[in-house]
Amino acid sequence: MGTEQAAFLERAIEQYGNATYTFAFRLTHNEADARDLTQEAFLRVYRAWQSFKPGTSFLSWIYRIVTNLHRDELRRRKGRYLEEIPEDHDTHYFGGERPLAVAPIDDYVESQFSEPLARALDELGAEQRQIILLADVEGFSYQEIAGIIGCSVGTVRSRLHRTRGLLRRLVSAQMSSRR
Amino acid sequence: MNDRHLTPDEIVDYLHGELPITRDAAVAMHLAQCRTCAEAREAEAALTEMVRAVAQKQERTVPSAMMSSIRAAAERPPQRASRPFWFARPLVALPVALAAGLAIWLGMRSFTVNPPKPSIAAGYLVDRHAITSAIAPFADDAPIPPVFASDNAPR
Repeated sequence: MGTEQAAFLERAIEQYGNATYTFAFRLTHNEADARDLTQEAFLRVYRAWQSFKPGTSFLSWIYRIVTNLHRDELRRRKGRYLEEIPEDHDTHYFGGERPLAVAPIDDYVESQFSEPLARALDELGAEQRQIILLADVEGFSYQEIAGIIGCSVGTVRSRLHRTRGLLRRLVSAQMSSRR
Repeated sequence: MNDRHLTPDEIVDYLHGELPITRDAAVAMHLAQCRTCAEAREAEAALTEMVRAVAQKQERTVPSAMMSSIRAAAERPPQRASRPFWFARPLVALPVALAAGLAIWLGMRSFTVNPPKPSIAAGYLVDRHAITSAIAPFADDAPIPPVFASDNAPR
């Protein structure tokens, strides 16, 4: 192992190991898969360390690697990654109609909401979970997300809108079933 | 702006800071005046907060064993997934293909530059000419019979 290359790896693991592992776990919901993804991602980083451009976001880079590895793995397993995201053709205007989110979300604030939401997140496909994680949890911009998952900003935008709409419906369903 | 309510998509883009600056200002102004849209904004913001809260419970710390195995894997030379057949490897396949192409080209060239010589005897050509002249005496390539040739002769 070259000294500089080894130092780069050490620094990367030290600074971004936890974040990467957490991101991988949130994507997969599985410890073993998250470990494999994280390990493989850092190996890729190690091998391609010279292609990293100083001044750019390391986190975006390694998340892109994790995302690609995860997608490849799911394709290999022919999992639910390629599932279509249901189109959200419901009304977008709610003058006179309340948005689906309002009533259940108010309930969550007043009561225990994390369990139904966690279940709803579990029900999302990998691609959908990915967009929610990157936009809402990690707080990346649409432009950054487009770079990470390799699509256009418009796709990020529409995918996020659809996924949030779906999440609202799933949470509503979870809440209804609890009552 | 005030004649219609905001769409959930606009509110999501607004919360993510993804609206163009002029639109962002207009949305902010609308939210300050419209209770319905302000509630919808609160609901979207609450959804984001809850997603974050759930995600926070999933935070992980890299186990030291995993760090060791990453280091160990990095020290090992990368393994090749599978060795292709020798003729499919580019370093071998390319020269072989070039040599084969050259051999074919040279073979064809020698065939066309030095075609095999005809083995027909000259006597055959003479006989064939005589036969043709007898059958079609007025053909373009037929020799002029002496009777016509004499007409053209100077008198």
